[in-house]
Amino acid sequence: MPREAEPSLNEKQFVIQALQSNLRLDGRKFDQYRPLEVSFGEQYGVVEVKLGKTRILAKASAEVTVPYVDRPLDGIFTIATELSPMASPAFEVNRPTETEVLLSRLLEKTVRRSGALDTESLCLVAGQKCWHVRVDVHILSHDGDLIDAACFATVASLRHFRKPDTSIENGVLTVYTPAEREPVPLGWLHSPFCVTWSFYGDEGEIAVLDATWLEEAVRVGSCTISLNRHGEICQIAKLGGTPVEALSLLQCTSIALVRVKEFSALLDKKLAEDAKRRDRGGLLAELSAENDR
Amino acid sequence: MPLDTSSYSLALLRVDGRRWNELRRINAQIRTQAAADGSSYLEMGHTKVMCVVTGPSEPFGPARVGRTGAGAGATAGASGGEAGVVVSIVVAGFSSVDRKRRGRGDKRIQELQSTISSALAASLHTHLFPHSTISISLHVLSQDGSLLAALINAATLACVDAGIPMTDYVAACTAGSTSTYAANDESADPLLDLNHQEEQELPGLTVATLGDSDRVAVLVCESRVQVSRLEGMLAVGVDGCKQVRAILDRVVRDKGRKMVQEGTVQKGVGLEDMEVD
Repeated sequence: MPREAEPSLNEKQFVIQALQSNLRLDGRKFDQYRPLEVSFGEQYGVVEVKLGKTRILAKASAEVTVPYVDRPLDGIFTIATELSPMASPAFEVNRPTETEVLLSRLLEKTVRRSGALDTESLCLVAGQKCWHVRVDVHILSHDGDLIDAACFATVASLRHFRKPDTSIENGVLTVYTPAEREPVPLGWLHSPFCVTWSFYGDEGEIAVLDATWLEEAVRVGSCTISLNRHGEICQIAKLGGTPVEALSLLQCTSIALVRVKEFSALLDKKLAEDAKRRDRGGLLAELSAENDR
Repeated sequence: MPLDTSSYSLALLRVDGRRWNELRRINAQIRTQAAADGSSYLEMGHTKVMCVVTGPSEPFGPARVGRTGAGAGATAGASGGEAGVVVSIVVAGFSSVDRKRRGRGDKRIQELQSTISSALAASLHTHLFPHSTISISLHVLSQDGSLLAALINAATLACVDAGIPMTDYVAACTAGSTSTYAANDESADPLLDLNHQEEQELPGLTVATLGDSDRVAVLVCESRVQVSRLEGMLAVGVDGCKQVRAILDRVVRDKGRKMVQEGTVQKGVGLEDMEVD
Protein backbone atom coordinates (compact mmCIF):
# COMPACT_ATOMS: atom_id res chain seq x y z
CA MET A 1 0.00 0.00 0.00
CA PRO A 2 1.54 3.34 -0.97
CA ARG A 3 1.84 5.83 1.81
CA GLU A 4 1.43 9.52 1.55
CA ALA A 5 4.77 11.31 1.65
CA GLU A 6 5.14 13.01 5.00
CA PRO A 7 6.23 16.62 5.10
CA SER A 8 9.93 17.00 5.86
CA LEU A 9 11.17 17.89 9.33
CA ASN A 10 12.04 21.41 8.15
CA GLU A 11 8.56 21.98 6.80
CA LYS A 12 6.99 20.68 10.00
CA GLN A 13 9.13 22.89 12.20
CA PHE A 14 8.46 25.89 10.00
CA VAL A 15 4.68 25.48 10.23
CA ILE A 16 4.76 24.95 13.98
CA GLN A 17 7.07 27.89 14.67
CA ALA A 18 4.92 30.11 12.48
CA LEU A 19 1.81 29.06 14.40
CA GLN A 20 3.55 29.76 17.69
CA SER A 21 4.17 33.32 16.54
CA ASN A 22 0.52 33.69 15.52
CA LEU A 23 1.07 33.26 11.80
CA ARG A 24 -0.26 30.87 9.20
CA LEU A 25 1.48 30.07 5.96
CA ASP A 26 -1.30 31.50 3.83
CA GLY A 27 -1.74 34.59 5.97
CA ARG A 28 -5.17 33.70 7.34
CA LYS A 29 -6.30 34.33 10.87
CA PHE A 30 -6.57 31.27 13.14
CA ASP A 31 -10.36 31.22 12.99
CA GLN A 32 -10.67 32.10 9.33
CA TYR A 33 -11.78 29.76 6.56
CA ARG A 34 -10.40 29.70 3.06
CA PRO A 35 -12.91 31.11 0.56
CA LEU A 36 -15.72 28.59 0.11
CA GLU A 37 -17.05 28.29 -3.43
CA VAL A 38 -20.26 26.44 -4.20
CA SER A 39 -21.49 25.67 -7.69
CA PHE A 40 -24.57 23.70 -8.61
CA GLY A 41 -24.75 21.40 -11.63
CA GLU A 42 -27.36 21.35 -14.36
CA GLN A 43 -29.09 18.40 -12.68
CA TYR A 44 -30.79 18.70 -9.32
CA GLY A 45 -28.62 17.52 -6.45
CA VAL A 46 -25.20 17.95 -8.06
CA VAL A 47 -22.95 20.25 -6.07
CA GLU A 48 -19.29 21.04 -6.28
CA VAL A 49 -17.66 22.64 -3.27
CA LYS A 50 -14.22 24.20 -3.32
CA LEU A 51 -12.47 25.12 -0.13
CA GLY A 52 -9.11 26.46 -1.17
CA LYS A 53 -7.57 23.57 -3.10
CA THR A 54 -9.90 20.99 -1.56
CA ARG A 55 -12.55 19.99 -4.09
CA ILE A 56 -15.56 17.85 -3.37
CA LEU A 57 -18.38 16.71 -5.61
CA ALA A 58 -21.63 15.48 -4.09
CA LYS A 59 -24.52 14.00 -5.99
CA ALA A 60 -27.86 13.08 -4.53
CA SER A 61 -30.12 10.56 -6.23
CA ALA A 62 -33.32 8.72 -5.42
CA GLU A 63 -34.87 5.43 -6.44
CA VAL A 64 -37.92 3.46 -5.35
CA THR A 65 -37.15 0.34 -3.28
CA VAL A 66 -38.60 -1.88 -0.58
CA PRO A 67 -38.16 -0.45 2.97
CA TYR A 68 -36.30 -2.32 5.68
CA VAL A 69 -38.46 -4.92 7.43
CA ASP A 70 -37.93 -3.42 10.89
CA ARG A 71 -38.75 0.13 9.69
CA PRO A 72 -41.74 -0.18 7.36
CA LEU A 73 -42.74 3.49 7.71
CA ASP A 74 -39.32 5.00 6.96
CA GLY A 75 -37.54 5.59 3.72
CA ILE A 76 -33.86 4.74 3.29
CA PHE A 77 -31.13 7.36 3.39
CA THR A 78 -27.50 6.55 2.82
CA ILE A 79 -24.34 8.57 2.43
CA ALA A 80 -21.51 6.98 0.49
CA THR A 81 -18.06 8.52 0.66
CA GLU A 82 -15.34 7.76 -1.77
CA LEU A 83 -11.74 8.80 -1.44
CA SER A 84 -10.37 7.94 -4.84
CA PRO A 85 -6.70 7.64 -5.80
CA MET A 86 -7.28 10.84 -7.76
CA ALA A 87 -7.12 12.85 -4.53
CA SER A 88 -4.02 11.20 -3.14
CA PRO A 89 -2.00 8.09 -4.00
CA ALA A 90 -2.52 6.86 -0.43
CA PHE A 91 -6.19 6.20 -1.12
CA GLU A 92 -7.08 2.92 -2.73
CA VAL A 93 -10.39 1.84 -4.15
CA ASN A 94 -12.30 -0.71 -2.02
CA ARG A 95 -9.89 -0.41 0.85
CA PRO A 96 -11.14 2.22 3.27
CA THR A 97 -8.38 4.01 5.13
CA GLU A 98 -8.90 5.36 8.62
CA THR A 99 -9.55 8.83 7.16
CA GLU A 100 -12.36 7.50 5.05
CA VAL A 101 -13.98 5.51 7.85
CA LEU A 102 -13.90 8.51 10.19
CA LEU A 103 -15.19 10.83 7.47
CA SER A 104 -18.14 8.63 6.62
CA ARG A 105 -18.95 8.07 10.31
CA LEU A 106 -18.90 11.81 10.93
CA LEU A 107 -21.18 12.54 7.97
CA GLU A 108 -23.45 9.76 9.11
CA LYS A 109 -23.68 11.15 12.64
CA THR A 110 -23.99 14.76 11.53
CA VAL A 111 -26.56 14.44 8.78
CA ARG A 112 -28.32 11.12 9.24
CA ARG A 113 -28.47 10.53 12.99
CA SER A 114 -29.32 14.14 13.78
CA GLY A 115 -32.48 13.70 11.71
CA ALA A 116 -31.78 16.42 9.15
CA LEU A 117 -33.72 14.53 6.49
CA ASP A 118 -37.26 13.52 7.36
CA THR A 119 -37.10 9.84 6.41
CA GLU A 120 -40.79 9.29 7.15
CA SER A 121 -41.67 11.55 4.24
CA LEU A 122 -39.81 9.15 1.95
CA CYS A 123 -42.34 6.39 2.59
CA LEU A 124 -44.68 5.72 -0.33
CA VAL A 125 -46.62 2.55 0.59
CA ALA A 126 -46.04 1.37 4.16
CA GLY A 127 -43.88 -1.75 4.21
CA GLN A 128 -43.82 -2.04 0.43
CA LYS A 129 -42.44 0.98 -1.35
CA CYS A 130 -40.24 3.84 -0.31
CA TRP A 131 -37.66 6.21 -1.69
CA HIS A 132 -34.02 5.39 -1.21
CA VAL A 133 -32.13 8.69 -1.14
CA ARG A 134 -28.43 8.31 -1.65
CA VAL A 135 -25.69 10.90 -1.56
CA ASP A 136 -22.37 10.07 -3.17
CA VAL A 137 -19.54 12.21 -1.90
CA HIS A 138 -16.46 12.18 -4.11
CA ILE A 139 -13.22 13.75 -2.99
CA LEU A 140 -11.64 15.19 -6.11
CA SER A 141 -8.72 16.94 -4.49
CA HIS A 142 -7.43 16.79 -0.92
CA ASP A 143 -5.88 19.85 0.63
CA GLY A 144 -7.07 19.50 4.19
CA ASP A 145 -10.35 20.01 6.04
CA LEU A 146 -12.18 17.31 4.11
CA ILE A 147 -14.78 16.91 6.82
CA ASP A 148 -16.15 20.45 6.78
CA ALA A 149 -16.18 20.64 3.00
CA ALA A 150 -17.75 17.18 2.62
CA CYS A 151 -20.45 17.99 5.15
CA PHE A 152 -21.24 21.29 3.41
CA ALA A 153 -21.41 19.50 0.05
CA THR A 154 -23.70 16.78 1.43
CA VAL A 155 -26.13 19.24 2.96
CA ALA A 156 -26.06 21.48 -0.12
CA SER A 157 -26.74 18.60 -2.49
CA LEU A 158 -29.64 17.30 -0.38
CA ARG A 159 -31.21 20.73 -0.17
CA HIS A 160 -30.73 21.30 -3.88
CA PHE A 161 -32.08 17.87 -4.81
CA ARG A 162 -35.61 17.36 -6.12
CA LYS A 163 -37.17 13.91 -6.21
CA PRO A 164 -39.79 12.98 -8.82
CA ASP A 165 -43.36 13.67 -7.82
CA THR A 166 -45.59 10.65 -7.15
CA SER A 167 -49.22 9.89 -6.67
CA ILE A 168 -51.20 6.85 -5.57
CA GLU A 169 -54.59 6.12 -7.04
CA ASN A 170 -56.43 2.87 -6.27
CA GLY A 171 -53.23 1.38 -4.97
CA VAL A 172 -51.30 2.14 -8.14
CA LEU A 173 -48.15 4.14 -7.63
CA THR A 174 -47.25 6.57 -10.39
CA VAL A 175 -43.86 8.25 -10.57
CA TYR A 176 -43.99 11.31 -12.81
CA THR A 177 -41.18 12.38 -15.09
CA PRO A 178 -39.90 15.96 -14.72
CA ALA A 179 -41.74 16.79 -17.98
CA GLU A 180 -45.10 15.76 -16.49
CA ARG A 181 -44.76 17.30 -13.06
CA GLU A 182 -42.10 19.47 -11.50
CA PRO A 183 -39.97 17.37 -9.07
CA VAL A 184 -40.44 18.11 -5.35
CA PRO A 185 -37.83 18.96 -2.71
CA LEU A 186 -37.05 16.56 0.15
CA GLY A 187 -38.59 16.94 3.60
CA TRP A 188 -35.75 18.85 5.22
CA LEU A 189 -35.74 19.64 8.94
CA HIS A 190 -32.49 21.43 9.76
CA SER A 191 -29.10 21.99 8.19
CA PRO A 192 -26.13 20.80 10.26
CA PHE A 193 -22.59 21.88 9.40
CA CYS A 194 -19.25 20.60 10.64
CA VAL A 195 -16.50 22.84 11.98
CA THR A 196 -13.13 21.20 12.57
CA TRP A 197 -10.53 22.61 14.93
CA SER A 198 -6.93 21.49 14.77
CA PHE A 199 -4.74 21.75 17.85
CA TYR A 200 -1.04 22.52 18.09
CA GLY A 201 1.49 22.85 20.88
CA ASP A 202 2.38 20.56 23.77
CA GLU A 203 -0.90 21.18 25.57
CA GLY A 204 -2.98 21.82 22.48
CA GLU A 205 -3.19 25.49 23.36
CA ILE A 206 -3.19 26.73 19.74
CA ALA A 207 -6.48 26.09 17.96
CA VAL A 208 -6.83 26.62 14.23
CA LEU A 209 -9.81 26.36 11.89
CA ASP A 210 -9.77 24.93 8.37
CA ALA A 211 -6.28 23.42 8.41
CA THR A 212 -4.62 22.76 5.07
CA TRP A 213 -3.10 19.38 4.26
CA LEU A 214 0.28 20.48 5.57
CA GLU A 215 -1.21 21.88 8.75
CA GLU A 216 -3.21 18.68 9.25
CA ALA A 217 -0.03 16.63 8.93
CA VAL A 218 1.61 18.37 11.89
CA ARG A 219 -1.37 18.80 14.24
CA VAL A 220 -1.44 17.01 17.58
CA GLY A 221 -5.19 16.63 17.77
CA SER A 222 -8.46 17.72 16.25
CA CYS A 223 -12.05 18.24 17.27
CA THR A 224 -15.02 18.27 14.91
CA ILE A 225 -18.13 20.04 16.13
CA SER A 226 -21.39 19.81 14.20
CA LEU A 227 -24.07 22.38 14.83
CA ASN A 228 -27.04 23.91 13.12
CA ARG A 229 -27.92 27.59 13.11
CA HIS A 230 -30.46 27.11 15.92
CA GLY A 231 -27.56 26.39 18.28
CA GLU A 232 -28.12 22.66 18.54
CA ILE A 233 -25.09 20.41 18.74
CA CYS A 234 -25.57 17.46 16.42
CA GLN A 235 -22.30 15.75 17.17
CA ILE A 236 -18.92 16.42 18.75
CA ALA A 237 -15.93 14.24 18.00
CA LYS A 238 -12.59 14.72 19.62
CA LEU A 239 -11.25 11.28 18.95
CA GLY A 240 -8.10 11.09 21.03
CA GLY A 241 -4.99 13.13 20.38
CA THR A 242 -3.26 15.46 22.80
CA PRO A 243 -5.55 16.46 25.69
CA VAL A 244 -6.97 19.99 25.50
CA GLU A 245 -8.31 22.17 28.31
CA ALA A 246 -12.07 21.73 28.74
CA LEU A 247 -12.59 25.49 28.79
CA SER A 248 -10.92 26.03 25.44
CA LEU A 249 -13.17 23.33 23.96
CA LEU A 250 -16.19 25.33 25.14
CA GLN A 251 -14.73 28.43 23.50
CA CYS A 252 -14.18 26.49 20.30
CA THR A 253 -17.83 25.49 20.35
CA SER A 254 -19.07 29.05 20.62
CA ILE A 255 -16.84 30.22 17.75
CA ALA A 256 -18.02 27.21 15.76
CA LEU A 257 -21.61 28.37 16.20
CA VAL A 258 -20.76 31.73 14.59
CA ARG A 259 -19.11 29.96 11.64
CA VAL A 260 -22.09 27.64 11.24
CA LYS A 261 -24.46 30.60 11.03
CA GLU A 262 -22.24 32.03 8.28
CA PHE A 263 -22.28 28.70 6.41
CA SER A 264 -26.03 28.53 6.77
CA ALA A 265 -26.51 32.06 5.37
CA LEU A 266 -24.09 31.34 2.51
CA LEU A 267 -25.91 28.16 1.51
CA ASP A 268 -29.31 29.87 1.68
CA LYS A 269 -28.01 32.64 -0.56
CA LYS A 270 -26.49 30.24 -3.10
CA LEU A 271 -29.64 28.12 -3.23
CA ALA A 272 -31.80 31.19 -3.76
CA GLU A 273 -29.49 32.37 -6.58
CA ASP A 274 -29.67 28.98 -8.23
CA ALA A 275 -33.45 28.81 -7.90
CA LYS A 276 -33.69 32.24 -9.55
CA ARG A 277 -31.44 31.10 -12.38
CA ARG A 278 -33.62 28.04 -13.04
CA ASP A 279 -36.89 29.88 -12.74
CA ARG A 280 -36.71 31.73 -16.06
CA GLY A 281 -39.95 33.52 -16.82
CA GLY A 282 -41.53 32.51 -13.51
CA LEU A 283 -42.99 29.28 -14.92
CA LEU A 284 -42.00 27.13 -11.97
CA ALA A 285 -44.80 28.28 -9.71
CA GLU A 286 -47.32 27.29 -12.36
CA LEU A 287 -45.83 23.87 -12.99
CA SER A 288 -45.64 22.90 -9.35
CA ALA A 289 -48.25 20.51 -8.03
CA GLU A 290 -47.38 21.31 -4.43
CA ASN A 291 -49.64 23.24 -2.09
CA ASP A 292 -48.47 25.90 0.31
CA ARG A 293 -48.69 24.60 3.86
CA MET B 1 -39.18 5.04 22.33
CA PRO B 2 -41.16 2.86 24.71
CA LEU B 3 -38.82 3.45 27.66
CA ASP B 4 -39.58 6.12 30.19
CA THR B 5 -37.21 8.15 32.29
CA SER B 6 -39.59 11.06 32.70
CA SER B 7 -40.27 10.17 36.34
CA TYR B 8 -36.94 11.77 37.23
CA SER B 9 -38.48 15.12 38.13
CA LEU B 10 -40.77 13.52 40.75
CA ALA B 11 -38.21 12.17 43.20
CA LEU B 12 -34.96 13.29 41.55
CA LEU B 13 -33.99 9.64 41.32
CA ARG B 14 -32.97 7.98 38.09
CA VAL B 15 -34.32 4.68 36.73
CA ASP B 16 -31.73 2.68 38.62
CA GLY B 17 -32.15 4.66 41.84
CA ARG B 18 -29.09 6.88 41.56
CA ARG B 19 -28.89 10.61 42.18
CA TRP B 20 -27.70 12.89 39.36
CA ASN B 21 -24.05 12.91 40.44
CA GLU B 22 -23.56 9.25 41.33
CA LEU B 23 -21.40 6.83 39.39
CA ARG B 24 -22.43 3.25 39.02
CA ARG B 25 -20.40 0.68 40.93
CA ILE B 26 -17.00 0.29 39.33
CA ASN B 27 -15.28 -2.99 39.97
CA ALA B 28 -11.89 -3.51 38.41
CA GLN B 29 -9.03 -5.99 38.57
CA ILE B 30 -5.62 -5.98 36.99
CA ARG B 31 -3.32 -8.86 36.13
CA THR B 32 -6.20 -11.19 35.40
CA GLN B 33 -4.30 -13.15 32.74
CA ALA B 34 -1.02 -14.48 34.04
CA ALA B 35 0.44 -15.13 30.61
CA ALA B 36 -0.22 -11.68 29.17
CA ASP B 37 2.10 -8.68 29.42
CA GLY B 38 -0.72 -6.68 30.90
CA SER B 39 -4.39 -7.41 31.47
CA SER B 40 -7.42 -6.01 33.20
CA TYR B 41 -11.10 -6.62 33.79
CA LEU B 42 -13.48 -3.76 34.42
CA GLU B 43 -17.15 -3.47 35.30
CA MET B 44 -19.02 -0.17 35.21
CA GLY B 45 -22.45 -1.21 36.38
CA HIS B 46 -23.47 -3.93 33.97
CA THR B 47 -20.98 -2.95 31.29
CA LYS B 48 -18.21 -5.50 31.48
CA VAL B 49 -15.01 -5.44 29.45
CA MET B 50 -11.72 -7.31 29.43
CA CYS B 51 -8.42 -6.08 28.13
CA VAL B 52 -5.15 -7.75 27.24
CA VAL B 53 -2.03 -5.81 26.30
CA THR B 54 0.84 -7.38 24.39
CA GLY B 55 4.04 -5.48 24.01
CA PRO B 56 5.83 -3.26 23.44
CA SER B 57 7.15 -5.89 21.09
CA GLU B 58 8.49 -6.21 17.60
CA PRO B 59 5.75 -5.84 15.04
CA PHE B 60 4.80 -9.24 13.63
CA GLY B 61 5.33 -9.56 9.91
CA PRO B 62 6.56 -6.89 7.52
CA ALA B 63 3.05 -6.13 6.29
CA ARG B 64 2.09 -4.68 9.63
CA VAL B 65 4.79 -2.04 9.80
CA GLY B 66 3.49 1.43 9.30
CA ARG B 67 0.00 0.35 8.44
CA THR B 68 -2.66 2.85 9.29
CA GLY B 69 -5.97 1.50 10.34
CA ALA B 70 -6.34 -1.20 7.72
CA GLY B 71 -7.14 -4.73 8.78
CA ALA B 72 -8.21 -5.74 12.24
CA GLY B 73 -7.15 -2.82 14.35
CA ALA B 74 -6.47 0.88 14.38
CA THR B 75 -2.94 2.19 14.66
CA ALA B 76 -1.67 5.47 15.97
CA GLY B 77 1.83 6.87 15.69
CA ALA B 78 3.19 3.91 13.79
CA SER B 79 6.00 5.85 12.17
CA GLY B 80 9.49 4.52 12.86
CA GLY B 81 10.40 6.89 15.71
CA GLU B 82 7.79 5.72 18.17
CA ALA B 83 5.76 2.64 19.04
CA GLY B 84 2.47 2.07 17.27
CA VAL B 85 -0.60 1.47 19.40
CA VAL B 86 -2.85 -1.11 17.79
CA VAL B 87 -6.29 -1.55 19.27
CA SER B 88 -8.72 -4.27 18.36
CA ILE B 89 -12.17 -4.62 19.85
CA VAL B 90 -14.24 -7.76 19.87
CA VAL B 91 -17.87 -7.38 20.84
CA ALA B 92 -19.25 -10.69 22.07
CA GLY B 93 -22.50 -11.75 20.45
CA PHE B 94 -24.12 -12.28 23.85
CA SER B 95 -23.12 -8.85 25.17
CA SER B 96 -26.40 -7.06 24.49
CA VAL B 97 -30.06 -8.02 24.59
CA ASP B 98 -30.46 -8.61 20.89
CA ARG B 99 -27.87 -10.82 19.33
CA LYS B 100 -26.41 -8.78 16.52
CA ARG B 101 -23.73 -10.03 14.25
CA ARG B 102 -21.11 -7.36 13.75
CA GLY B 103 -18.48 -7.85 11.10
CA ARG B 104 -14.91 -6.70 11.26
CA GLY B 105 -15.74 -3.91 8.88
CA ASP B 106 -18.21 -2.27 11.25
CA LYS B 107 -17.44 1.43 11.05
CA ARG B 108 -18.62 2.12 14.60
CA ILE B 109 -16.15 -0.39 16.00
CA GLN B 110 -13.40 0.96 13.78
CA GLU B 111 -14.11 4.45 15.07
CA LEU B 112 -13.92 3.20 18.68
CA GLN B 113 -10.62 1.47 17.94
CA SER B 114 -9.04 4.52 16.42
CA THR B 115 -10.32 6.73 19.25
CA ILE B 116 -8.83 4.51 21.95
CA SER B 117 -5.56 4.06 20.14
CA SER B 118 -5.04 7.76 19.55
CA ALA B 119 -6.14 8.69 23.09
CA LEU B 120 -3.71 6.26 24.69
CA ALA B 121 -0.89 7.07 22.26
CA ALA B 122 -0.98 10.64 23.57
CA SER B 123 -0.50 9.46 27.17
CA LEU B 124 1.88 6.53 26.68
CA HIS B 125 5.54 7.38 26.21
CA THR B 126 5.70 5.72 22.83
CA HIS B 127 8.93 7.45 21.88
CA LEU B 128 10.79 5.13 24.28
CA PHE B 129 9.98 2.12 22.10
CA PRO B 130 10.85 2.91 18.50
CA HIS B 131 10.00 0.35 15.80
CA SER B 132 7.68 -1.61 18.06
CA THR B 133 4.02 -2.22 18.60
CA ILE B 134 1.81 -2.08 21.65
CA SER B 135 -1.20 -4.18 20.87
CA ILE B 136 -4.30 -3.73 22.98
CA SER B 137 -7.07 -6.22 22.57
CA LEU B 138 -10.42 -5.46 24.16
CA HIS B 139 -13.32 -7.81 24.64
CA VAL B 140 -16.81 -6.55 25.41
CA LEU B 141 -18.62 -9.12 27.54
CA SER B 142 -21.71 -7.17 28.49
CA GLN B 143 -23.09 -3.82 27.36
CA ASP B 144 -25.15 -1.44 29.46
CA GLY B 145 -24.18 2.03 28.29
CA SER B 146 -20.92 4.00 28.60
CA LEU B 147 -19.13 1.45 26.44
CA LEU B 148 -16.41 3.77 25.16
CA ALA B 149 -15.68 4.99 28.69
CA ALA B 150 -15.37 1.43 30.02
CA LEU B 151 -13.09 0.45 27.14
CA ILE B 152 -10.78 3.40 27.73
CA ASN B 153 -10.59 2.72 31.47
CA ALA B 154 -9.87 -0.98 30.94
CA ALA B 155 -7.18 -0.20 28.36
CA THR B 156 -5.54 2.28 30.73
CA LEU B 157 -5.45 -0.27 33.56
CA ALA B 158 -3.99 -2.95 31.30
CA CYS B 159 -1.28 -0.55 30.10
CA VAL B 160 -0.42 0.22 33.72
CA ASP B 161 -0.22 -3.50 34.40
CA ALA B 162 2.03 -4.00 31.38
CA GLY B 163 4.40 -1.45 32.90
CA ILE B 164 4.44 0.85 29.89
CA PRO B 165 5.56 4.33 31.00
CA MET B 166 2.74 6.84 30.69
CA THR B 167 2.06 10.44 31.66
CA ASP B 168 -1.01 9.71 33.72
CA TYR B 169 -4.19 7.63 33.76
CA VAL B 170 -6.64 8.30 30.93
CA ALA B 171 -9.92 8.07 32.83
CA ALA B 172 -13.28 8.26 31.11
CA CYS B 173 -16.95 8.48 31.97
CA THR B 174 -20.20 9.71 30.44
CA ALA B 175 -22.46 12.61 31.27
CA GLY B 176 -25.95 13.48 30.12
CA SER B 177 -28.76 15.93 30.59
CA THR B 178 -32.31 15.25 31.75
CA SER B 179 -33.89 17.48 29.18
CA THR B 180 -34.63 16.30 25.68
CA TYR B 181 -33.07 18.38 22.92
CA ALA B 182 -36.27 20.19 22.09
CA ALA B 183 -37.15 21.33 25.58
CA ASN B 184 -35.86 24.70 26.64
CA ASP B 185 -36.47 24.13 30.33
CA GLU B 186 -34.09 25.64 32.82
CA SER B 187 -34.68 22.93 35.40
CA ALA B 188 -32.71 20.32 33.44
CA ASP B 189 -30.12 18.55 35.57
CA PRO B 190 -26.89 17.16 34.23
CA LEU B 191 -26.47 13.42 34.89
CA LEU B 192 -23.34 11.41 35.53
CA ASP B 193 -22.56 7.98 34.08
CA LEU B 194 -25.47 7.02 31.84
CA ASN B 195 -26.73 3.46 31.60
CA HIS B 196 -28.08 1.95 28.39
CA GLN B 197 -31.66 3.12 28.92
CA GLU B 198 -30.62 6.70 29.64
CA GLU B 199 -28.21 6.66 26.73
CA GLN B 200 -31.04 5.73 24.38
CA GLU B 201 -33.35 8.49 25.52
CA LEU B 202 -31.30 11.43 26.73
CA PRO B 203 -28.57 13.50 25.14
CA GLY B 204 -25.16 12.52 26.47
CA LEU B 205 -21.45 12.64 25.87
CA THR B 206 -18.34 10.63 26.71
CA VAL B 207 -15.38 12.47 28.22
CA ALA B 208 -11.91 11.17 28.92
CA THR B 209 -9.41 13.32 30.78
CA LEU B 210 -5.74 12.96 31.45
CA GLY B 211 -5.24 12.26 35.13
CA ASP B 212 -6.43 14.84 37.63
CA SER B 213 -6.28 17.75 35.19
CA ASP B 214 -9.14 19.36 33.30
CA ARG B 215 -7.56 18.42 30.00
CA VAL B 216 -9.89 16.49 27.76
CA ALA B 217 -8.40 13.72 25.63
CA VAL B 218 -11.64 12.37 24.21
CA LEU B 219 -14.97 14.10 23.82
CA VAL B 220 -17.66 12.30 21.90
CA CYS B 221 -21.24 13.49 21.69
CA GLU B 222 -23.59 11.64 19.36
CA SER B 223 -26.94 13.15 20.17
CA ARG B 224 -28.68 16.41 19.45
CA VAL B 225 -28.45 18.81 22.35
CA GLN B 226 -28.65 22.56 22.92
CA VAL B 227 -25.27 24.26 22.93
CA SER B 228 -26.04 25.81 26.33
CA ARG B 229 -26.27 22.32 27.91
CA LEU B 230 -22.72 21.44 26.88
CA GLU B 231 -21.01 23.38 29.64
CA GLY B 232 -22.97 21.68 32.42
CA MET B 233 -22.55 18.24 30.93
CA LEU B 234 -18.84 18.73 30.35
CA ALA B 235 -18.28 19.98 33.90
CA VAL B 236 -20.07 16.97 35.38
CA GLY B 237 -18.23 14.63 33.01
CA VAL B 238 -14.80 16.02 33.87
CA ASP B 239 -15.62 15.77 37.56
CA GLY B 240 -16.72 12.17 37.04
CA CYS B 241 -13.43 11.40 35.30
CA LYS B 242 -11.58 12.54 38.40
CA GLN B 243 -13.65 10.16 40.53
CA VAL B 244 -12.97 7.35 38.07
CA ARG B 245 -9.26 8.14 38.16
CA ALA B 246 -9.25 7.83 41.95
CA ILE B 247 -10.96 4.45 41.69
CA LEU B 248 -8.52 3.18 39.05
CA ASP B 249 -5.60 4.40 41.13
CA ARG B 250 -6.92 2.53 44.17
CA VAL B 251 -7.21 -0.67 42.14
CA VAL B 252 -3.59 -0.41 41.01
CA ARG B 253 -2.26 0.43 44.49
CA ASP B 254 -4.26 -2.36 46.16
CA LYS B 255 -2.91 -4.89 43.69
CA GLY B 256 0.65 -3.65 44.18
CA ARG B 257 0.34 -3.87 47.96
CA LYS B 258 -1.05 -7.39 47.73
CA MET B 259 1.77 -8.50 45.47
CA VAL B 260 4.36 -7.12 47.88
CA GLN B 261 2.70 -8.87 50.81
CA GLU B 262 2.49 -12.17 48.95
CA GLY B 263 6.12 -11.84 47.98
CA THR B 264 5.36 -12.07 44.25
CA VAL B 265 7.52 -9.02 43.75
CA GLN B 266 10.38 -7.67 45.81
CA LYS B 267 9.71 -4.44 47.57
CA GLY B 268 11.52 -1.92 45.43
CA VAL B 269 13.62 1.02 46.48
CA GLY B 270 11.00 3.68 46.10
CA LEU B 271 8.32 1.59 47.74
CA GLU B 272 9.15 2.40 51.39
CA ASP B 273 7.04 5.50 51.30
CA MET B 274 4.05 3.49 50.06
CA GLU B 275 1.98 2.75 53.14
CA VAL B 276 1.61 -1.04 53.33
CA ASP B 277 -1.08 -1.87 55.83
